[in-house]
Amino acid sequence: MSQIQARFFTEDKRYVVDDVPFSIPAASEVQDLSNVINKLLEAKNGNKVDFDFLVRGQFLRTSLSTHMATEGISTVWILTGSYDKTARIWSTEGKPAMTVAGHTDVVKDVAWVKREGLTSLLLTASLDQTVLLWEWNSERNKVKARHCCRGHAGSVDTISVDPTGTKFCSGSWDKMLKIWSAVPTDEQDEIEEPADRPRKKQKTQQLGLTRTPLMTLSGHSEAVSSVLWCDSEEVCSASWDHTIRIWDVDTGGMKTTLTGSKVFNCISYSPLCRRLASGSTDRHIRLWDPRTKDGSLVLLSLTSHTGWVTAVKWAPSHAHQLVSGSLDNLVKLWDTRSCKAPLYDLAAHEDKVFCVDWTESGLMLSGGADNKLYTYRYSAQQAEA
Amino acid sequence: LDIRNTVGNIPMEWYKDFPHIGYNLDGKKIYKPIRNKDELDDFLDKMENPEYWRTVHDKQTGSDVVLSDDQVELVNRLQRGQFGDVNFNECEPMVEFFSSDVMIHPVTNRPADKRSFIPSLTEKEKVSKLVHAIKMGWIKPRRVEDDGRGRYYNLWASEDSSILARHKMHLPAPKIPLPGHHESYNPPPEYLFTDEERALWEQQDPADRKLPFVPRKYSSLRQVPAFSQFIHERFERCLDLYLCPRQRKMRVNVNPEDLIPQLPKPKDLQPFPTTRSLVYRGHSGLVRSISVSPSGQWLASGSDDGSVRFWEVCSSRCMKTVQVGGAVKSVAWNPNPSVCLLAVALDSVVLILSPSLADKQVILSSERLLSAQQEGEEPAEGNGSVVWSEAEGEELNQGLRLKIQHPKAVHQVVWHAKGDYLASVMPDNTSHLQVYIHQLSRRRSQNPFSRNKGLVQCISFHPIRPYFFVATQRSIRIYNLVKQEMTKKLQTNSKWISSMAVHPGGDHVICGSYDCKLSWFDLDLSTKPYKMLRHHKKAVRGVAYHRLYPLFASASDDGSVIVCHGTVYNDLLQNPLIVPVKVLRGHVMTHDLGVLDVTFHPTQPWVFSSGADATICLFT
Repeated sequence: MSQIQARFFTEDKRYVVDDVPFSIPAASEVQDLSNVINKLLEAKNGNKVDFDFLVRGQFLRTSLSTHMATEGISTVWILTGSYDKTARIWSTEGKPAMTVAGHTDVVKDVAWVKREGLTSLLLTASLDQTVLLWEWNSERNKVKARHCCRGHAGSVDTISVDPTGTKFCSGSWDKMLKIWSAVPTDEQDEIEEPADRPRKKQKTQQLGLTRTPLMTLSGHSEAVSSVLWCDSEEVCSASWDHTIRIWDVDTGGMKTTLTGSKVFNCISYSPLCRRLASGSTDRHIRLWDPRTKDGSLVLLSLTSHTGWVTAVKWAPSHAHQLVSGSLDNLVKLWDTRSCKAPLYDLAAHEDKVFCVDWTESGLMLSGGADNKLYTYRYSAQQAEA
Repeated sequence: LDIRNTVGNIPMEWYKDFPHIGYNLDGKKIYKPIRNKDELDDFLDKMENPEYWRTVHDKQTGSDVVLSDDQVELVNRLQRGQFGDVNFNECEPMVEFFSSDVMIHPVTNRPADKRSFIPSLTEKEKVSKLVHAIKMGWIKPRRVEDDGRGRYYNLWASEDSSILARHKMHLPAPKIPLPGHHESYNPPPEYLFTDEERALWEQQDPADRKLPFVPRKYSSLRQVPAFSQFIHERFERCLDLYLCPRQRKMRVNVNPEDLIPQLPKPKDLQPFPTTRSLVYRGHSGLVRSISVSPSGQWLASGSDDGSVRFWEVCSSRCMKTVQVGGAVKSVAWNPNPSVCLLAVALDSVVLILSPSLADKQVILSSERLLSAQQEGEEPAEGNGSVVWSEAEGEELNQGLRLKIQHPKAVHQVVWHAKGDYLASVMPDNTSHLQVYIHQLSRRRSQNPFSRNKGLVQCISFHPIRPYFFVATQRSIRIYNLVKQEMTKKLQTNSKWISSMAVHPGGDHVICGSYDCKLSWFDLDLSTKPYKMLRHHKKAVRGVAYHRLYPLFASASDDGSVIVCHGTVYNDLLQNPLIVPVKVLRGHVMTHDLGVLDVTFHPTQPWVFSSGADATICLFT
């Protein structure tokens, strides 16, 4: 039974409840919600009152889940970044909810910092060497840039938020990894401006307050193509210099290096099976154990793609499933227990696939060069976005 | 009355004078019968006595006896050689004592003697006598002679080896083939010449003919004439025997595969590009030239449709398009990693573009480089025909910064490794002002050459040392820029050089030519090519070296890019190892043109190729 996060507010001062998100079963009816409110108010009053609820201005008559389905309210949002210099937020049904514009160049990577409640924080990394931290009010559907993270000397190709949601790491073409704070504040960090200003006026106005990195991790000899957090103290990065490095955030040093033979395009870590999956330009997906002390041991090699593997992602709930996207227009669903062939080949894209992801509920997403975002469900149905 | 004489076998003349002839058994004298017959009576008797022929005078008894018929018969039989006894049958059946039939009883049942089982006693006696005699020395045994040395003579012991060799080398003349059906006097009709064959036979040279004669048909052997070619044939045979030189051909038993040097297998020489990964589409005309940024993130391409496009390497997205208003012949990215500038050659102008595709610091330093003021110094001589100008207005927004106007059409621009100097080529057979070297920071241009040596095809700077390579149609000249003189002239065997590339180490040069050949020159080895590779079927349009990996590639009009491994060894004695490693096909041939330019990624073992089909392919 799935749960929904809900907040209750009222203008009637008698029945004010704490403005905290509560986890409510999705199939709750009006009576159940009334009971919940009564329980919360038991401390204050003694009587049981029957309440009526309004969801987005509509009276709740049926169960919450059916109401939401009919009204088209979803709590799962999809964030996409595109080469048109914007990021967009979509619902799982495929309706665009918001366009996040502000970068001066192509948005290379996006990430949610936190998604619960009414305001969500999201990050966009771009070719213009900055990462913007945005605050999105889902109720009022407004987005505002809080911080502009400067510091990279090359296009920021990848970002990843740590499990606690307080920090994020970015990797860029200048071969560096930088750790930043993901908490929005009201201070601006000082950065050194170059001594002589260029003659040409900078057209870009800065969005948000400037932020500088907490830490810089250097060690790669070529561009960093993908970063992720293994846990809240370890960062794993894959790069064009054919290595995957694991860094310790506390000390800023490198813990392990896994060496491959070809450029790594993407990596993904699964805490369920504690394996790292990497996609390379030689069309293979390799599984590694990040805890190995000795050199590089490829545990498994999944081969089926006929082009560069540009994206891999482990399933959040399955220990053995992962989905991969490639330049050969295919998205493949793999089970690592049967490594000879993928479970499914999802051929929906007409052009190269650049990114794949999972939602909490097991929905697969993929986006590609044909400007489309596709969602797939395991039971082999798909919906276009 | 028994009158048989008992005197015995004595001559009867002894009793001539006596009246008796002998004595009978009783001892009484046997008186001679009265013989009163004289010669005449004998004669009359012979004539008239019918019994004369049977009358016999018995000397013993002295009487005449008349033989009876039986007795006469007996005499006759004896005279004939038959047996006397009439009743004797000389043809009695033989009684075989030793018959061929095996009888029950043997002829004799005498048991065998012991002497048939034991050695002969008589021989034993003889042998013992001989032995005794030998021991006593009466008989000397015959000694066996030793047939050892000295009985024969080694004919060839002192033979001369040259004579032996000549004998060994003797090759007998080939035997004359036995006559066949053609030589027959009455061959089957198919062996005779038809009219056409006859005409052909007469036309051909005597040396070319298969048969030295014309087959003839005669009905009988009598009609066969004398062979006219007899003496000629014998003469030819004699010439063959003693005049034709014959020599033993020493055939070397060599496997042809052993002669080919063992090259390492391509899979040992990984990494190299193998498959086409990305295609950059967007141009509408053939893409003549491509160049990768030193960081490896961007690819710039110039095409005949008048645009310069910037692509992101990893996603094949065209980030920027700059319309420059003329077919672009050559693009070259500034190799200095701290600036981001692109030189574009189109028509008779060279443009310097500053695409803002890099870090702000980099862009700043690019701007700084470009905007160096001349500080009032007058332009140097030789600068007259080349005009530098700054871009303004709309062109500035597009990214254009500087324009260098040349007197003629520019075919190629090339940067120096440090990124400050730029060389451009205006091919022209007649003038010596084909090559210009420009300095970006001071906006100066100069002609290094005072004499015309041929139509310049392409130029290149040496990556490390101050040398300058100029390729004309048939040779490559290397000039020392500091000493201002020509150091070397490399002779290629090609008719028309199309492109040239210098190894990052600086000691090797490859050049591709329109006659499908790629020559590798080792500058330390000689001025002739070290290796000529003929892998392509059509003209080679572009060649390139990889900056880090030991790879080089050639692009050709047959639509393929051939990537070869070329390791250069640090020790000067070992020649470079060249192994062709992969043929990459990714382009479609358009208007008989294939791949026009090829270049490697600066850090990864990837190769980019641009073709006449308006696409750029990335092979990884």
